[in-house]
Amino acid sequence: MTMQNIKPKYLILLATVMFIAIGGIALAAGDPDMDPPLAPLPDHPPIPTDNPSGTNVYPSKMDAKQELGYLLFFDPKISGDGGIACSDCHDPKMGWGFSDPISRGYPGTVHWRNSQTALNSGYLNKIFWEGGTTSLEAQAPAAAEGAVAGNGSRDMMEARLRFTPEYVKRFKEVYGTEWPNIEDAYGAMAAFERWLSQPNTPFDKFMKGDKNAVSEKAKKGKSLFEGKANCIECHNGPIFTDEKFYDIGVADPPEFEENGIQQVTFRFQHYAKGSAEEIYRTHKSDPGIYFKQKRLEDRGKFRTAPLRYLKYTAPYMHNGTLFTLEEVIDFYDKADGVDRWGNKTKIIKPLNLTKEEKESLKEFLLTLSGEEIRLPVPKVPDYAPMADWQPKK
Amino acid sequence: MKKVFVSLLLLFTVHCSLFTVVHAADYPDIGPLPERKAPNPKAVELGKALFFDARLSGDAGVSCATCHNSENGFTTKMPLSEAYPGSKHWRNAPTMLNIVYKKGGFGWDGRLMDLDDMLRDMITDSMNMNMDMQLMQERLKQDPKIVALTKEAYGDKNMGTSQKGEMTHYVARNALIQFLETLTSKNVPFDKGALSGKAKEGMALFKGKAGCIQCHNSPYFSDGKPHNTGVPENPEVFKDPQRHFTYVAYMMFMGVDNRMSWRRDVGYYTISKDRGDVGKFITPTLRELKYTGPYMHNGIFTTLDEVIEFYNQGGGEDRPGLKDVALKPLNLTSAEKDAIKEFLLSLSGDEIRFDMPKGVKVEYQPLPNWREVKN
Repeated sequence: MTMQNIKPKYLILLATVMFIAIGGIALAAGDPDMDPPLAPLPDHPPIPTDNPSGTNVYPSKMDAKQELGYLLFFDPKISGDGGIACSDCHDPKMGWGFSDPISRGYPGTVHWRNSQTALNSGYLNKIFWEGGTTSLEAQAPAAAEGAVAGNGSRDMMEARLRFTPEYVKRFKEVYGTEWPNIEDAYGAMAAFERWLSQPNTPFDKFMKGDKNAVSEKAKKGKSLFEGKANCIECHNGPIFTDEKFYDIGVADPPEFEENGIQQVTFRFQHYAKGSAEEIYRTHKSDPGIYFKQKRLEDRGKFRTAPLRYLKYTAPYMHNGTLFTLEEVIDFYDKADGVDRWGNKTKIIKPLNLTKEEKESLKEFLLTLSGEEIRLPVPKVPDYAPMADWQPKK
Repeated sequence: MKKVFVSLLLLFTVHCSLFTVVHAADYPDIGPLPERKAPNPKAVELGKALFFDARLSGDAGVSCATCHNSENGFTTKMPLSEAYPGSKHWRNAPTMLNIVYKKGGFGWDGRLMDLDDMLRDMITDSMNMNMDMQLMQERLKQDPKIVALTKEAYGDKNMGTSQKGEMTHYVARNALIQFLETLTSKNVPFDKGALSGKAKEGMALFKGKAGCIQCHNSPYFSDGKPHNTGVPENPEVFKDPQRHFTYVAYMMFMGVDNRMSWRRDVGYYTISKDRGDVGKFITPTLRELKYTGPYMHNGIFTTLDEVIEFYNQGGGEDRPGLKDVALKPLNLTSAEKDAIKEFLLSLSGDEIRFDMPKGVKVEYQPLPNWREVKN
């Protein structure tokens, strides 16, 4: 082997090392992509130009649109039977999610995945475990109208709002319309959810320069997060998710096997979302984003979950099979998840973390949550007949 | 001479318009209901089970029988029907008795022409059963009894599925129709030719002086067409915001204009969008009316006497040009009204009643060997 043969290899290696150094972006061993660094959460989520609202967030006073959304978020008029609100599955007492591994569903049904927190959802670009929805304005109707969620019909919900004088008044103030429109209701809910943000956690304070905002142990945890444990490979940026899709081999929830109504919903998802016949007939595990494009290589993949506010959002994972942060850390440490379809990501490898390292990681993860945010349940406005209700031929 | 002729002609015209002469022969004659092909008994059994099964509704709380109760002639005793929770209906629930004889024009405004379509809408409409039929299908597939019954009834057919004899939403609707095939009049005095003398008089009036046959004709006693008879609005529809918004939601669904402003049930206008059709409703059958009061699309009349008196006065009021010109004051005597009532009652046969299954089970057992069996 001559020098001439070896030289180009070294050049490439040198160039790579320089590139990494310049970019300031860490690539762990076997790293498939570059990871945006951890960062404090921006003061407010991006506000879409087609649904303007204030840039203020909790705990500041809501503007008129945010406040309208707050009422609607808690109002069961936005559902099929007028009996279940957004807040039933995104309950402030349960971290703006739901405490069962698998969320409750519309009356007479059950959901099939874990309910995610509504808090900080304004910072996400890919919403739901399948990440198929890219705005809160689109998330609201998907939840309010889905058969095992809100099961509402647009006509009925819109008509209900129009017979609620308080809403007629508020929609007119906010949107200038004669009568409430359901799309505007979804817009107001989205504005409220953007208000429902927490950009001032101990982690954020630390990143902004307050070196005492987190403990030494948490700082060690951060180093592990970014280094040995390689969490940052997927949980990165200010919201701690790359919003990409991975199969990490989470076990099936026992509910699928033990609970009849759960099996109903499981088959319904396959049937309604158009799984191929063979998949519909034979699959017993959640195929995740396969539902989107029906590509076999997508089976078992879910969008990386954000990690903020997780102190209040147990249980964890798309199906709630891990109950505590310790279980989650052990899961990644062992890296022994199932590989059902050969799609399991190669990123996950045994970490050989010590007990102390695991504790540090947990300590760090807890710095991503601030105080628990609870809001009072507002009294929702009542229906009333039209002022000129008398029949007229 | 010419003047006399013109005056006579004028008099004749006036006479005709005051006293409409009804020629019964101009209309499809009333008569006994024709025999129908017997439905598959296993499919009937399945359909009957489904008719009483609340799992066919979104919240698993409402069955077909909730509004079409066999104890009340397959309708309810209330003027305005029950509806899905979170809404209230703005019309009277029509009977399911003899519905298989109805030739199109389902619903009071006649919006659907096919019984299968009608069932689909009843199951999925937000104010009726608010069900996603794909979810309904999977619920039913979770019940071993329903699965077994479906296999027995439809074992040799693929209906909307690759598997023979598998429950699908299509099978569910088909079985319901098979059950409806059994809800036909039995032992009706009129059909048997067993009318009393008074009822016979009533029939003559029905076909003649009272002119009922103009709309209530054929063995089903309905022309299946929309008419405006000037039925008064039921104020409850607008006084109760839940009923009113349910009606508004329906108008939104049907694309009716000006929906926040109407303070009347626009009826067939919903379908035709022709202003001349405002207030028209499809002629209902008169069979089994002994069991199906209150009457009219909004249940505004409680008794047959009220209905007869309403027509005796030439129907109700409406804006010029909207009310059916066939309606004129009838000048019926008290005895004539009684005779008509007697005839109308002879159109009802034996009451058909089913015991409501005691507390329909809305619980789902897990499938044994879930991992092994095919979905």
